[in-house]
Amino acid sequence: MATYNAFTQEWLNAWKQKIAECQEYKEIAKDWEGSVALICNADPSKNVPKPGYLFTDYWHGDVRDFLVCDEAKTQTAKFIMTADYARWKQVAKKELDATKALMQGKLKLKGDLTYIVRNVKAVNKVIDLLTEVNTVWPDDV
Amino acid sequence: MAYNNSLSFVYFGPTKIIFGSGSSTAELESEMSALGCSRAVVVTDPGVIKAGLSEKIIKTLGDKCVGVFSDVPQDTGIDVVNRGAAFAREKDADIVISIGGGSVIDTAKCMCILLTEGGDLANFEGIQLLTRPQTPHIVIPTTAGTGSEVTWIAVVFDKRKGQKILIVESYNTPRVAILDPQLTLTLPPLLTASTGMDAMTHAIEAMTSIDREPISAGMALHAIRLVSTYLPQCTQNGNNINARGQMQLAATMAGWAFCNSMVGLVHAMAHSIGAVSHIPHGVSCGILLPYCMDYNIDDGEPEAIKIYATVAQALGVSTRNDEPKRAAKAAVKEIFDLSKRIGHPLKLSESGVKEADILKAADLSMADGAIVNNIRCVLGKDEVLGIYRRAL
Repeated sequence: MATYNAFTQEWLNAWKQKIAECQEYKEIAKDWEGSVALICNADPSKNVPKPGYLFTDYWHGDVRDFLVCDEAKTQTAKFIMTADYARWKQVAKKELDATKALMQGKLKLKGDLTYIVRNVKAVNKVIDLLTEVNTVWPDDV
Repeated sequence: MAYNNSLSFVYFGPTKIIFGSGSSTAELESEMSALGCSRAVVVTDPGVIKAGLSEKIIKTLGDKCVGVFSDVPQDTGIDVVNRGAAFAREKDADIVISIGGGSVIDTAKCMCILLTEGGDLANFEGIQLLTRPQTPHIVIPTTAGTGSEVTWIAVVFDKRKGQKILIVESYNTPRVAILDPQLTLTLPPLLTASTGMDAMTHAIEAMTSIDREPISAGMALHAIRLVSTYLPQCTQNGNNINARGQMQLAATMAGWAFCNSMVGLVHAMAHSIGAVSHIPHGVSCGILLPYCMDYNIDDGEPEAIKIYATVAQALGVSTRNDEPKRAAKAAVKEIFDLSKRIGHPLKLSESGVKEADILKAADLSMADGAIVNNIRCVLGKDEVLGIYRRAL
């Protein structure tokens, strides 16, 4: 099975494919509209020398653009989630519940919290599918 | 969450509490000085001013009060906050003091953000976007219900979106809450009852939330004891200053509890019926609480039953050795009985709610974020509709 370096376009493509092929996701996310930008703070001590900017877009159960981008692009997203690298890794590995992490201040969110919570099943499913992507994390190297 | 080896949580409760009769005048100046502040804008509402609750406090401040912003409606909005912030900026305020209920407190919380960060409040919709402490905020509550004096959540109406938005910022938690029972003496009986039941609902829902944890549970249990003992005393004799004070403490403790552990089905349904029928939040919480408790118990989930059995002990209607399900049901009955004792409405129809309203509210409830924290997973709107119908 293929392995991907985290936060690369190939990794995003693999994640997108998982979501696109998932019938359960389509059903859970049938009401979701809008994009989510993920910003990973730099952490040189963990081999993340620069911030990472990702743009993911979802529409009524379909997946649209999944891009490694720049900061300007992330600011156009409906939701912007920002966290330290260590937190993102914990969320991606399901060691940290995303919604709980938001409320505990471990992830930051710009956007309508109530929308996220209403659609928490869709959020959790997207993260579940990420765990199926074989990932090499920067600090694993 | 289970209280076992995997228990993991964050408890955040940084607000300094000052309690005492007359404390709103005796302690305010020294608390301002301790925060290094000398130019306060007071935020309040016309009702508080009319009741004469803010007069002594403003007089005490003297020159340290550089302005009073009282243009706060029952449900605050972004436009209100923006105006308040502009006013405070013009006065070069370095601290905000709120005197009032939830809407006043939330307005002041948001003004603090704009005083530090500038811009429009709409840009701050979200969670934990701030990276530094905000303009200091001292809260002097005049109701004993919302617990907003210790929470880091503000709810404001966004006219452009046509909905309320949440701003969740731990850096914006009020620095100090001054609980002065004298300020609640004139609260009318029905408002006393409904704000008190809001506090009770916060406490019980914090106990049963899927995010429950032991520190919040401790706060919640004592809040339950205090409300059950002192709320009837307050509604029978509004001048009972001891009872009024204990209710303020209950509301604050319940505020800490729900802010850390979240709320559940009662609040999802109360928000929704409130949006449709405009019945006050505390009233809808108080009516729906026992019905939602019954719903959670009827699933037979042992953990829910065990928790409600503990609630029953706090309510004084059970002991440790009682059979848990019987004790849980006793808790439900006691909430109904408490509502009767304090003159709180028992049915939604008493507040003018109709069948058509609950049909709409059932839909909205399923989309309310609070529902995901409920101890019993709500599978569909028919279940919610069933509860509304029993409560109608």
